[in-house]
Amino acid sequence: MTEAIEVQLKKGVLALCVLALLSKADSYAYEIASKLAKDIDMGEGTIYPLMRRMQSDGQVETYLVESQSGPPRKYYRLTPAGRASFTAQKAEWAAFVSAVDNILGAAA
Amino acid sequence: MTRAEFLTRLKRGLAGLPAAQIADIVADYEAHFNEAQEAGRSESEVAAALGEPERLAREQRAEQGVRRWEETKNPSAAASAIFAVVGLGAIDIIFLLPLLMGVLGTLFAFFMAAIGIFVAGGAVTTVGPFAGPPGGPAVAFLLGIGLMAGATALAAVTTLLTVGLVNGLIWYGRLHYRLLKPAIETQV
Repeated sequence: MTEAIEVQLKKGVLALCVLALLSKADSYAYEIASKLAKDIDMGEGTIYPLMRRMQSDGQVETYLVESQSGPPRKYYRLTPAGRASFTAQKAEWAAFVSAVDNILGAAA
Repeated sequence: MTRAEFLTRLKRGLAGLPAAQIADIVADYEAHFNEAQEAGRSESEVAAALGEPERLAREQRAEQGVRRWEETKNPSAAASAIFAVVGLGAIDIIFLLPLLMGVLGTLFAFFMAAIGIFVAGGAVTTVGPFAGPPGGPAVAFLLGIGLMAGATALAAVTTLLTVGLVNGLIWYGRLHYRLLKPAIETQV
């Protein structure tokens, strides 16, 4: 059961991290994948099913940008719904982290 | 694994999805290889970082199956969602499968019973009043209507149970999405 919770936790955090990155600036999947792979040790392939789900959920939308080298890049940007979801999830995350920190602090 | 091998295995895994969707998914991974190449990474290194193409394909299929179920709650969407989620290979779903089949069989039997009772009710309503039933024609007529109403209620409850069961299974499948496991396991 703990494994299931860990998976669910990581899944929620991944989506939250993607929302956070996109709230700062539009980005393309490779950039998002390599950043998250480096910072939170996520498998690079993970980003693609996730982006697809977020797109079908209406949290992100895509547009193409010409690049000097090679074919145009597919950029992702937050939709208003994605922005709202980010605000809500960020608040939930902060509340959760401070609750856990309190417990950890009490145990120390 | 080379880029070509990765893409071939990915396409094989996606076979059966709409062509436009396959092209879209494949284009994402091709772009990934292009970007990585520009960053100076080797094909085998990138393929390793992406993970098993078959697993990525299964996850995309599961997502697709679940979306179809969410859009149209019909038996074929339910079947494809169930198979897609089972295809993710979460081991405990496979253990649960015999149980699941039993429950689905029971629900199916309920549906059949509902249809049977409905037909019987219809017969009692139309034929009963003319067959000289005990208690008079009106009683037979009302009895028939009652049977049909009961059958309809049974079918409705069974439908709700089935929808709930499939939703629960999808929730369970998503909880076990294997795409997150590599993220955790690479740390070990």
